[in-house]
Amino acid sequence: MNAYQRVMNTLGGLPVDRPPVFAVLGAYGGKLTSTDLKTLYSDSSAYVAGQVALQKEIGLDLVMSAFDYTLISEAFGGEVAWFADQAPNMKRPAVRNAVDALSLPLPNPQQTARLPIILDVTRKLAALYKEQVPIIGVLPGPCILPALLVGIEQWMEAALFDQELAQKLLDHTAPFYVSWANALLDAGADCLVATESMASSDIATRNMFAGQFLPHLKSIFTQINGPKVLHHSGGRLNHVLDLLPGLNGLVGITVSSKDDLTEARQLIGPDLTLIGNLDNLTLPMISAEETYKMSMARLREAAPGGHYILCNSAADIPLTTPPENLRAMLAAASDYSVGVGGDL
Amino acid sequence: MSYQNWSEKLLKIMMNADRVGAVALIDEVLTSGIGSRQIITDILDPAIVQLGRMWEQESMSLSQNFVASKIAEDILLRCIPDKSEHTHSKGAVVIGNIEDDFHSLGRKAVGLFLTAAGWDVHDLGNDVPAEELLEKAIEVNACVIGASAMMQTTALNIRKVRHLIDERGLTDRIKLAVGGAVFNWRPDLVAEVGGDGTAHNAVSADELFTRLESEVRREVKP
Repeated sequence: MNAYQRVMNTLGGLPVDRPPVFAVLGAYGGKLTSTDLKTLYSDSSAYVAGQVALQKEIGLDLVMSAFDYTLISEAFGGEVAWFADQAPNMKRPAVRNAVDALSLPLPNPQQTARLPIILDVTRKLAALYKEQVPIIGVLPGPCILPALLVGIEQWMEAALFDQELAQKLLDHTAPFYVSWANALLDAGADCLVATESMASSDIATRNMFAGQFLPHLKSIFTQINGPKVLHHSGGRLNHVLDLLPGLNGLVGITVSSKDDLTEARQLIGPDLTLIGNLDNLTLPMISAEETYKMSMARLREAAPGGHYILCNSAADIPLTTPPENLRAMLAAASDYSVGVGGDL
Repeated sequence: MSYQNWSEKLLKIMMNADRVGAVALIDEVLTSGIGSRQIITDILDPAIVQLGRMWEQESMSLSQNFVASKIAEDILLRCIPDKSEHTHSKGAVVIGNIEDDFHSLGRKAVGLFLTAAGWDVHDLGNDVPAEELLEKAIEVNACVIGASAMMQTTALNIRKVRHLIDERGLTDRIKLAVGGAVFNWRPDLVAEVGGDGTAHNAVSADELFTRLESEVRREVKP
């Protein structure tokens, strides 16, 4: 069974040889190929070389496009801050208020800034791994997208105190979102992961998500022609999990390390795949043995009914995480499937 | 109505995220003859402290934090014409997002709550080198530097502030408050970066800075 079959079977609730193992490893590929992060995120060949190195040296059950949203803020006119040891950040948004954002032209995924590079990455990954390793396209959720145009403060100001304006901005950005998501799928992505911060309890209350953002999420998902995973984006998600089943094309949900896995399963029912729950910040500080134990605990809790993928929670795994810890995640999944590690 | 009653009324409005209602209440307070200074120190500040305590054990969303900070900002702006009346300052503090960190929302909220509580806040903005934070603190005679970071990678840059404070022999004179999402997720990081304390949310910042300031007063004998 290859990684693609393993993941597809898991999503479909079919038997697998072992539970799949994911980790958010974009920048980590640059670490393995000794490529600086600006080059990694600006050169499709360099990024793909990182994913190839990850497959050779670690061999997790995915390859992925970059978890880098500055390429979207940049495409709208924002400025990017580059770092040696972490993925880039938005230094300055394109405009300073939500009203001005309504007149920003929408980027063309095939032409604007670094967007075509990511499409090229996806095409190259598809050429190398189609139906062998799942190709995951990563993008922000449609409800947090406006923050990439105006900054989180202005977006919160609109969302909380001028809901008509917030809705206009969601409507304005929707065609870009749909075109970008479908372009990633057309380029070869097997599944999209949308990191929706506005669903997280660390950002918004349940009422706010249910009333203001869920309708938009529903509308957008119906316009995207492929399977989707909703990602917690760093914060807790359990407070809205019961609202998510039934979203068009939703196949899985990535929860945070602070969400209770058992409760999450109860909330989403038996048919959606749960992903994640390994604490991203802990991984660089613990040994491979501890990583193995932590992974085995998650597998025991969430994998017995199927529909579970072991994964770190949050964004890129810290670059200081030893590769042995990533291999320990894989070892735990293999041992779990044959019943080893019973006394851990 | 007593200050306490007004403050309790304001607290209820803040909990309901009623920004318009808060401004209306402050207008009512002003009309009743209470001055700006009392509004800030005896009505707004106790409401903020109480809010912080109520949310201490809970997960406070960014949106709740944001609404509370905006209400505080509205009240401060409403009272600005009489700000000269607000003569008693708790002291100078310096805040900023540490070098390489651009997540300003939490820091701005902290600045607002500290200002509301009577601190003389020097906000240096985003991406501030450790040297700059310390130089400003020395220049304005600040007793606390508040360094903010959202991610672990940038939080580690705060270690340099700790190093510089200690290297310059200012350990007893300048305390280091640290904050940001990553410290709520990994409380042990406070000690790892050399922080003297943290607050779980912006509303609680005044309590933290007050504690740190009192430590400075205890440690530095005139």
